[in-house]
Amino acid sequence: MNNIIKEFVDNVTAKFELMGVDYPADLQVSLDFDQRDIHNALAYIKGAGWTQMSLLTCVDWIADNEFQLVFILFNWKNGVRLQVRTRIDRDKPVFTTITNIYPGAQYYERDVHEFFGVEFEGNPDSYKQLFLENWDDIPPLRKDFDAIAYSDRKYPARKYKANFSTEAGESK
Amino acid sequence: MSKKERAVAKRKKKWDGISNFFRANSIWMLMYCTGCCAIELPQAMTSKYDMERLGMGPMATPRQADVILVTGYLSVKTLRRVIYAYEQMGEPKYLVAFGPCTINGGIYYDAHPVIKSLDQYLPIDVYIAGCMPKPEAVMNGFQDLIDMIKRKEANGWRKYQENKEWYRENQIHALGELRIKDEFHE
Repeated sequence: MNNIIKEFVDNVTAKFELMGVDYPADLQVSLDFDQRDIHNALAYIKGAGWTQMSLLTCVDWIADNEFQLVFILFNWKNGVRLQVRTRIDRDKPVFTTITNIYPGAQYYERDVHEFFGVEFEGNPDSYKQLFLENWDDIPPLRKDFDAIAYSDRKYPARKYKANFSTEAGESK
Repeated sequence: MSKKERAVAKRKKKWDGISNFFRANSIWMLMYCTGCCAIELPQAMTSKYDMERLGMGPMATPRQADVILVTGYLSVKTLRRVIYAYEQMGEPKYLVAFGPCTINGGIYYDAHPVIKSLDQYLPIDVYIAGCMPKPEAVMNGFQDLIDMIKRKEANGWRKYQENKEWYRENQIHALGELRIKDEFHE
């Protein structure tokens, strides 16, 4: 099995400019690509047998001012799971859609657009609302979104007549 | 108040008492499960605790149901649908709230999509304690609801009628708009 993974990684390295390879667990490989290469790489990987896209999600690296898109792909022939990753600019998060390669990405792109504000060019449906209705703030899963302040502003808390709080072990 | 009006009011009160007796002994509940507390309903419904001995049974549509169970946390998306369902129900209607999430948000007190206290948006007749409430607590809560209906204390629906503007204001504050707009309603 390790031979298959090694051969595949060698093939990918020969074809594309890999920015990093990691083996987080048995039968799992993570590959980092540049934003330019990612569509060609995904098309190649799909042709090599990774036909199922299990997940498309996003990570907010606020210190680097970057979003990281993560595609988790699965191969039913040998059970190897791939994490294909790429980083995009956080100030202007625009990415070209992958729905022509993996049509199942349709709903994940809507999800990522809603929760992180990444725009997917070439997928007009990704602008439709999916989970959040009438959202009126910055996308909620960005690290600079203050969930407690939003919750306090939007949903007033219950007011108690007695004070039951027990700060520093002291109860009133 | 004239003598005739007093007689009418007295007769109405008497009939209310009689209809409340029948309402209390035949409650149809709307099968609408919102959160994790719903997992306690199968035990309460099936042979172990058998809620049908209290005269309670499941009903498929809100228009035919008497009681709506809010089983746990409510996201704003769900709240919009719960308000839809609650307003469709014929009066008198009762609302039973499960767990701490409906009281003060519970463990979701800091979550962006989850409301904190349900009584801001809909009137609640009975709270059932526990996270999640055990089936015994659920049955006890239903028994409380039945007793309250018999004593004419389950008046949440009347409160909703009288303070509709206050409830509507809170609903608009949390939801922005009550109308459901998703791709299935386009």
